[in-house]
Amino acid sequence: MTAWVVILLAGLGSYLFRISMIVVTERVSLPAKLEQASGFVAPAAFAALAATGIAVASKQSGDFVQAAPLLAAVAAAILAVRLTGRSYVAVLAGMPTLWLLTLVVGA
Amino acid sequence: MSATTTGLVRTAGGGELAAGARAMIPWLAGVVPFGLVIGVSAARADIPALAGWLTGPAIYAGSAQVATIEMLHAGAAPAVIVATALIINLRLVLYSGAIANQWRGTPRWWRATAAYLLVDPSFVVGMDGYERHSDRAAGHRHYLGGAVLLWVAWMIAIGVGVTLGAQLPAMLRLELIIPLYLVGEVVSKLGDRATRRAAVTAAVTAVVALAVPLHLGVLIAIISGLGAALTVKGGSR
Repeated sequence: MTAWVVILLAGLGSYLFRISMIVVTERVSLPAKLEQASGFVAPAAFAALAATGIAVASKQSGDFVQAAPLLAAVAAAILAVRLTGRSYVAVLAGMPTLWLLTLVVGA
Repeated sequence: MSATTTGLVRTAGGGELAAGARAMIPWLAGVVPFGLVIGVSAARADIPALAGWLTGPAIYAGSAQVATIEMLHAGAAPAVIVATALIINLRLVLYSGAIANQWRGTPRWWRATAAYLLVDPSFVVGMDGYERHSDRAAGHRHYLGGAVLLWVAWMIAIGVGVTLGAQLPAMLRLELIIPLYLVGEVVSKLGDRATRRAAVTAAVTAVVALAVPLHLGVLIAIISGLGAALTVKGGSR
């Protein structure tokens, strides 16, 4: 139940943002700081969400040996992106590394 | 019916609609995989699959959808989730302000629909269309052609992801696709100092703030990242 309400509220708020400046009849200039900051929202949000997801998953793994495949997968993802300059290779390099090392650790 | 409205609905303008849709195709290469992984993560998350898919039509902005799904899964407080999603989507106010001038004088229903479709790719494709067409109505059709294609592709991609994600075995640990995908997005865009500082500060803060109650950590981390980026001299991107 809560999930539905949260999603609809986030959606409603987002729609109000989208329509906000369109219903304002006078031209409003937005604060320059907001404009400047908005360019950094995506990298900051992505980094925060990625770090949280990885940290929570490695904590759930229990000990370091169990968490090692995940941390290696992240390292492989970073390395692959650095080498190729393409973002999507992170998943292509990371997930197989995770699967392979999970098998090794589990064995 | 006003001339603008006629221009918006008549089918004779199919050329610009198609041109807008064509201009959107390169974006789909990045957007569709993102939609798929969001769908998969929604299916793995501890929320109803349909609710996960609903983030698409309701929020209609990938990064805010990811934040919402991940935080719902983690059991964060509802107000914190909504606040985080809205901070991430604050940029939509800027897009709204930048495109508002082009939409002045259009019928209310059209502005309401066009605004709903406003998100990063449709904004870029749309603004490009308005720059290229001196005829405003042609620009509207260009925007709509791109924006509608994007919307349809996004809904399908998330739907396919949700369906696939629900069927694949848990041992594949697909819940880690999103973090890895985001790592790729961040690492590939660390071109300048301010962006690097935003990303590194946000990541470190997020880990340190894991213990903060209500899962406020993500929100605190994003704001710290923004703060850190803005302290870079000159604020160059």
